[in-house]
Amino acid sequence: MNRTPVTVLTGFLGAGKTTLMNRVLTEQHGQRLAVIENEFGEIGIDHELVINADEEIFEMNNGCICCTVRGDLIRILGSLMKRRDQFDHILIETTGLADPGPVVQTFFVDDDMKEKLLVNAVVTVVDAKHIWEHIDDADEAKEQIAFADVILLNKCDLVAPGDLDKLEARIKAMNGVAKIYRTVNAAIEIPKILEVGGFNLDHAIGVDPKFLEPEYPFEWGGIFELPQGAAEFVASQNPDPSMKLIFIPVDAGTDEALAAAREQAVRGFSSLQIQEAAPGAPIAIDGTLHELVLQEGEMAWPLEIPAAGCYALFTEHYPDELELKLRADGREFVAAPAAAYKPDHEHDEEVTSVGIEEERECDTAKLNVWLSTLLRDKGTDIFRMKGVFSVKGNPNRVIFQGVHMLLDAQDGGPWGTRPRRNSLVFIGRNLDREELNASFASCLV
Amino acid sequence: MPGLKADSKTTQVSLPSAARLLPETWSVEVDDHVLDLRWSSDGAFLAALPSLGSIGIFDREARRTATLAGHPGGNGSLSWDPKRNRLATFGQDAVVRVYEAPFAAPAREIPLEKGWAERVAWSPDGKRLAACVGRQLLILEGETGALRQTFGDHKSTVCDVAWNPSNPNEIASVCDGGARTWRLGQSKPIGHFDWGGASLLVTWSGDGRWVVTGDQTPSVHLYDTRRKHPLHIQGYQTKVKALAWEGSGQWLASGGGPAITVWPCSGKKGPEGAKPIQLFGHLKDAVALDFAKDQGVLASGGRDGLVLIWMPHRSDDPALVAQRSEEITVVRWEPQGDALAFATADGRITLCTMKARSR
Repeated sequence: MNRTPVTVLTGFLGAGKTTLMNRVLTEQHGQRLAVIENEFGEIGIDHELVINADEEIFEMNNGCICCTVRGDLIRILGSLMKRRDQFDHILIETTGLADPGPVVQTFFVDDDMKEKLLVNAVVTVVDAKHIWEHIDDADEAKEQIAFADVILLNKCDLVAPGDLDKLEARIKAMNGVAKIYRTVNAAIEIPKILEVGGFNLDHAIGVDPKFLEPEYPFEWGGIFELPQGAAEFVASQNPDPSMKLIFIPVDAGTDEALAAAREQAVRGFSSLQIQEAAPGAPIAIDGTLHELVLQEGEMAWPLEIPAAGCYALFTEHYPDELELKLRADGREFVAAPAAAYKPDHEHDEEVTSVGIEEERECDTAKLNVWLSTLLRDKGTDIFRMKGVFSVKGNPNRVIFQGVHMLLDAQDGGPWGTRPRRNSLVFIGRNLDREELNASFASCLV
Repeated sequence: MPGLKADSKTTQVSLPSAARLLPETWSVEVDDHVLDLRWSSDGAFLAALPSLGSIGIFDREARRTATLAGHPGGNGSLSWDPKRNRLATFGQDAVVRVYEAPFAAPAREIPLEKGWAERVAWSPDGKRLAACVGRQLLILEGETGALRQTFGDHKSTVCDVAWNPSNPNEIASVCDGGARTWRLGQSKPIGHFDWGGASLLVTWSGDGRWVVTGDQTPSVHLYDTRRKHPLHIQGYQTKVKALAWEGSGQWLASGGGPAITVWPCSGKKGPEGAKPIQLFGHLKDAVALDFAKDQGVLASGGRDGLVLIWMPHRSDDPALVAQRSEEITVVRWEPQGDALAFATADGRITLCTMKARSR
């Protein structure tokens, strides 16, 4: 039986959910939609169905948050599924303060929903300008980001590019598997919302190849093409007392050169030899690790460029955070190429993603023990999980997905030409990467 | 199931050793997935409620006696007056319509405040109508439609109601949190059976003793109103979507997975400590149940498209069977047990003429 896809739309009030909803409803995409919304909108449509729902949380098992479901959705979706003329897709708009957990859990817990419906994606619209007001304090904002398969950084026209980079990196540190799009007025191609296949891990990894890579000790890197002679760093902000950076000569201003320098920078950042540099102290561009001492007001550090050419710079924080500029010959230089890196220093981030990749096969019995123990002990903190297991003796992939303590595993078909390997992703609160890795290793044969 | 064979038009059900095919008399179609089938109290009319579209009233000869306009936004519920051929329908337009035979047009339309419209039910004496809208249970005068009382103490949408068959002044409601029982004229519940989870359906035994809920969790709650004693039955595979009483409250059949569990309720302690009868025959969830009145014959319908007839006090095996490609949504015995109607998710209604007799 083909299950009807369901897309869950979340986001704080004013982020642009209704704008996105209007786009989905008015643009030609060839799908017959049913929309369930929690807030009265002004959407006028004639060929789709819009139903208003009051949020009703059903507690399933002594109030355990992992087992709460949305009673209103069960009732309304149950009614929709009892129509001969079925819909192609169901879109659920949540209130700005809704916890997406019970919505998603509904499709795992309720027998009827499980049989007839399939979550396509949780789409979270983020107000790129105002999210900073909520992201540290509001659990709802964190959970909406953590549950997302797709995140729209909306209102990007109101935010400086550097701040967007910073926001994107922050969000990726929380949810490494979500596909992030930058939008203005929630303008996005509709298939990117309605044809996600949210529980397809290959897709998730495919759209964010950095997710399972190691973390880096820096947030930003870029290559400057500089003339020979004197230059200077100028900064005017001091968000932290200090910031590490490293300059490395490279052969060319290319992505390949930046990638090669990145590895050298990782080693450089692990050096115990750190050159402290108060404003006015010279910065060497020979691979020395410096720690800039940041003070109030304008600060400057002189550099001496020995020869015209390309130089890669890696900084612990985004240059925009310090309003850091590089000047020479009276000009300001811009890095090209440049890249943001997943930082390893945001250990104070409450909500994070942990990815595990392992080529060795799992033992079924050990895997069951590990998963049941993990979900029993940590299920409250795990918002979402998904992955593919390579199980000894099983010629097919085993695909799993879960929400809190709820887990659903399915036969994923033959591996085909894909290499056999376990790929797991956990998104949650207070996740211990080392502990997860170590405990998963106990399942391997 | 080996040895299936067609039977004659009218069959006396009597302890067959192997299941035979149900004797199908006629079949008709309505506009959509059939939510409910209800017989008028004299058995002359069968009303069919589709999810969307017009509501059909058929006589025993498959003639469509009347076609009632569907409710805008979807149909919700229908109920026959137990005392005369008068039908109430309710839908997502939040309007209760009352039809009198010959059902040409509504005798009365009662608009209610907008909200999720789940259920309408005539009281056992035919004097009042109960309607659930959103978080409220409304009691309306049957003759005038005037609002008599509002019971509003519900923490979520009221999912179902059941009148006390032995006292037309009492009614039970369920919502998230559990069940409540009410008495007309009193503003507060006379029974408050909060168990913390959500109950989806409620039924009140004919003798007025038991209020029973089918729950979102795979369980059933029974409240012995005489002893004011709650019982909780767990172990079902799925949420319990079907309940049916035999007689005035001796046996309770419950769905909640492919197996049907029948509990004895007549003893002092009811099902407490008793061993139930379990009936295995459906391949998927049993979602529709109905006992023929006082005959000990149970009909069940499943998501597997099977309709099975059981005589649980005599055999654990089904006596008769019908099969459809679509899931069965409702099974309903004619009030005297002289016919069985069942319906499917694709809108087909079938009547089987037979006499349910196992006693």
